[in-house]
Amino acid sequence: MIDAILLDCEQSETGAQALITDLALGPRIDLVPFYDLERTVLSRTRALLLGLHSDQRYLASRRGQLEAFLGGGGTIVVCGHIGHPFLAELSPFQPIHGYRVDDLVVNREADHPVWAGVDPADLSKRRGVAGFYGRGSNPPPPGARIINSLGPSRCPVDFDCRPAVGGRLLVHAGADLWGYFGSGNSSERIMPQLFDWIAKPSEAA
Amino acid sequence: MTLAVLDGGTYYHQEAIYGERLGGRFDRTIYAPELTAADLAGCDALMVADRIHPGVLRGKRPILLDYLVGGGTLIVLGENSAQQWAPGVSWEFRPTNFWWWLEQGGDPGHRIVAPDHELFRHVGMKELVWHYHGLLTPPPGATSLVDITPDGDPQGKGGSILYDHCHVGGGAGRMIVTTLDPFYHHGSFFMPAASRFLGKLLDWTDEAFRTPG
Repeated sequence: MIDAILLDCEQSETGAQALITDLALGPRIDLVPFYDLERTVLSRTRALLLGLHSDQRYLASRRGQLEAFLGGGGTIVVCGHIGHPFLAELSPFQPIHGYRVDDLVVNREADHPVWAGVDPADLSKRRGVAGFYGRGSNPPPPGARIINSLGPSRCPVDFDCRPAVGGRLLVHAGADLWGYFGSGNSSERIMPQLFDWIAKPSEAA
Repeated sequence: MTLAVLDGGTYYHQEAIYGERLGGRFDRTIYAPELTAADLAGCDALMVADRIHPGVLRGKRPILLDYLVGGGTLIVLGENSAQQWAPGVSWEFRPTNFWWWLEQGGDPGHRIVAPDHELFRHVGMKELVWHYHGLLTPPPGATSLVDITPDGDPQGKGGSILYDHCHVGGGAGRMIVTTLDPFYHHGSFFMPAASRFLGKLLDWTDEAFRTPG
């Protein structure tokens, strides 16, 4: 049993390469060619990581497999906007229209092990530029825990929930969380803490 | 006149192709993993949207080559690993520099080097100057449209980020190739210059490859 399978979209600079070669985290993750999902036995992993470059039409065609994985107690982590809802708890992305810098400031809404010790200021801006973390919301389902939000409208950018079919679902409406690996500030805590959260499936969603 | 687009199934392809901001700019949308030769019948040009899974494009290479041989035009956008499947494409990685406007005094080295090209009736410098993903070496017979100067290149070499290659391999096919990835950024509601570029690029394809409505 490994902690995570990341479906590889063959895009550069996603952070995936640094992750799989890392001495500590690398052994905890497998990189699987994206369209090999249908040939992958998911019972050998605790979590499935789906990045922003995912072909969501394909994921929608694999909904039965994804739901069976959740039903067996698995964890699915989704990054990016939702264009093709491929699970019942996912809804189409809603941007913050005409956003200004203040609308993109990250607010912590609830304590969460993955974001423990991560300063929202390190998420709000990179080199003084706002918007990398998120620019809108994948609307959370009823009962979801909102973890981080954006701006004075408190637009939900991160949530987790217990899907009806079982398991856990963590959704980040922005660039891949593994892109923060080795960032040099408090956001680099996200990935090791994500792996630890994955390894404790009893952790409340 | 018919313009088709390959859709990689991501959220940003969905938003760019079907969203309210740029909707209705393609006569035919083809989901890339399901592309068949029949889908391209009667298409004057096929836009290969940026950041389609390269494995899909490698798998569809015979269809894309046949389309070129038959006189089709491929407009290949960035981060598609085109060097793995498209004829004549030579590409070198450069790290993404989101900070060019903070670091390079406002001149990251972009130059329009074929100003009479029809594309520039629509696209100008304010659509072109943003980060790019690697540099191209145009093959013999191709014309670079936009270069990065050696001073703008972190490796001091320079190269093309957009070229036009007519008569690919001596045949009737044509390829326009770029390392810009506007579907991703426009479809992600990020980087207005990328949205401007895609909008103007589609103004050109409207003129060049579509029948006026």
